[in-house]
Amino acid sequence: MKDVIDAHNISKTYNRDTIPVAAVQHVHLHLVRGEFTALVGPSGSGKTTLLNLIGGLDRPDEGSILIHGTDITKLSANQLIDFRLRNIGFVFQSFNLVPVLTARENVELIMQLQGMKGSEIEARVQALFRQIGMEDKMNTRPSQLSGGQQQRVAVARALASKPQVILADEPTANLDSKSAGNLLDIMLKLNQEEQMTFIFSTHDQRVIERARRVITLVDGAIVSDTARVATEST
Amino acid sequence: MLLLIMAWRNIWRNRVRSLVIMVSVAMGLVAGLFVMGLYAGMLNDRMRTVIDKEVAHIQMHHPKFEDDHEAVFTMPDLDKTDSILLHHPLIQATAARSIALGMLATAEGSSGVQLMGVEYEEECRVSKLQNKIKEGSFGSAEKKHQLLVGKKLADKMKLKLGSKVVLTFTDKSGSIISASFRVSGVYQSENSRLDEVNVYVKKAELDPLLGLSNECHEWAILLKRDDETDSMKQVISGIYPSSKVESWKDISVETRLLIATTDQYSIIFVFIIMLALAFGIINTMLMAVLERTHEIGMLVALGMNKARLFLLVLWETVMLTFAGVPAGFGMGWLLLRYLETHGLDYSSAGEAMAGFGFGNIIYPVFPWGQLLMVVYVVVITALLASIFPSYQALRLKPVDAMRH
Repeated sequence: MKDVIDAHNISKTYNRDTIPVAAVQHVHLHLVRGEFTALVGPSGSGKTTLLNLIGGLDRPDEGSILIHGTDITKLSANQLIDFRLRNIGFVFQSFNLVPVLTARENVELIMQLQGMKGSEIEARVQALFRQIGMEDKMNTRPSQLSGGQQQRVAVARALASKPQVILADEPTANLDSKSAGNLLDIMLKLNQEEQMTFIFSTHDQRVIERARRVITLVDGAIVSDTARVATEST
Repeated sequence: MLLLIMAWRNIWRNRVRSLVIMVSVAMGLVAGLFVMGLYAGMLNDRMRTVIDKEVAHIQMHHPKFEDDHEAVFTMPDLDKTDSILLHHPLIQATAARSIALGMLATAEGSSGVQLMGVEYEEECRVSKLQNKIKEGSFGSAEKKHQLLVGKKLADKMKLKLGSKVVLTFTDKSGSIISASFRVSGVYQSENSRLDEVNVYVKKAELDPLLGLSNECHEWAILLKRDDETDSMKQVISGIYPSSKVESWKDISVETRLLIATTDQYSIIFVFIIMLALAFGIINTMLMAVLERTHEIGMLVALGMNKARLFLLVLWETVMLTFAGVPAGFGMGWLLLRYLETHGLDYSSAGEAMAGFGFGNIIYPVFPWGQLLMVVYVVVITALLASIFPSYQALRLKPVDAMRH
């Protein structure tokens, strides 16, 4: 099967001029379509940096990152923004919804940025909110939603542009166990139904148990990469 | 569309801060409109004074008369000319004047004057002479050689009603003529400089002394409408090609220049006010951007490109700036409506206003014709004010901004 993500020998070192910190070292990573992968490791092991590099939020000092055949390390800043908009969905630890927009508008924003037509946006918004089970909260501002609900909206937003890859940085870290379970159910369902590739960093054992592949990072290097049969429900 | 919604809601995230800017913009506009209205009112007052009390719309002279005001340069056929002019439907009134430069002498001293030989009724219709008389009268039919002097000249020469003066001037043939007159009245206009030199006598008495017969030196022509001035100047020039026909704009050049430059001065003033306000707007928008560093980083991470991010900050700045505009226009309109009726009393400034040819009470007018220009200035201010905050937002790198 063709690689969705093909990261080759990527390294990233911070503070190169003062006290260098090697966040990611010579990482090779290949993910195929439909994978549901957990990046695990202790704090400071490079999980978030690796996700940022794969997501084009940061640039590696060396190596190449191909996403669906496009080497994102070669793209200009503007090309990278457009690439992210069309190919990568992000779910952040602290939800990061735009507080002045309603749940629906947060999801619509991405589609408007993509230049989708109004009728297409409407249909997709309805479908996404149905998928996350929040049709009744579409017109609610983030401040009036629970953490779990906000993260579900964030997932809907990540899916809005129909990306190839969803990157999630500690998506359950700020959620109670029930909300985290619900979120994982939704993510797994979307992964299975739409064959989207999920890669997420996590410390959460419940998430790790449900991942089909677990990659362990220590000091910026991959120390283990295990394919496993995930537990289907919490 | 969502960008506009975001921009509008963003400006209300910190209500107090945004309201301070909106009130500042509103007050700045009130100040700007007040100055523009006051300036327009002063010029309007000056223009009305020039037209209604000094020059009239159009004047006609012998082509050489204005060079050195020699009595010989007259225009003939007084009655015929008067008849022709008054038959024109756009002409409201005319006044024929005999003019001589001379000296006014008393036992105390002497002063240079311009003798204006006028018909009282004509002059009342053209220059509202009756409204200027503060003491005494133009003179009675029974008494001869009576003189109306300006208050400034009366004060300077210590003239009172009944004071005897000797006027010396040259007649049409170049001979020096002296005649004694008695002060029958004192007038005061809005222009103290003219009050010091212009003295009025009956044309019927001055003409024989100057050697004039059915002729005059100056025709003052009052029109029914101001906006017909230029076209009527052409018409009258066509009727009297051998005379020099000038409009009030040619004669009172300083007034014409003042009016011509009003718009520029007013807009420059508003621009200075808005430029000062721009720093407040920049500060507010900069704080708004810096407070939202994380959020901006997230938007860029999700795919908001630099053009859209710039537009977002630009829209926010424009909305923040324009939110105060309706209130500013409204308050400015109310203030100027009040002052249009009640006027601004400058009498405490004493002679200063009259020295510039302005009345003591100025009636500002709302500058409707310049509102669009004010809006342009506000737009330019908003655009200028948005540049630095936008630049700061565009500089943010998503990965750094999201760590914020």
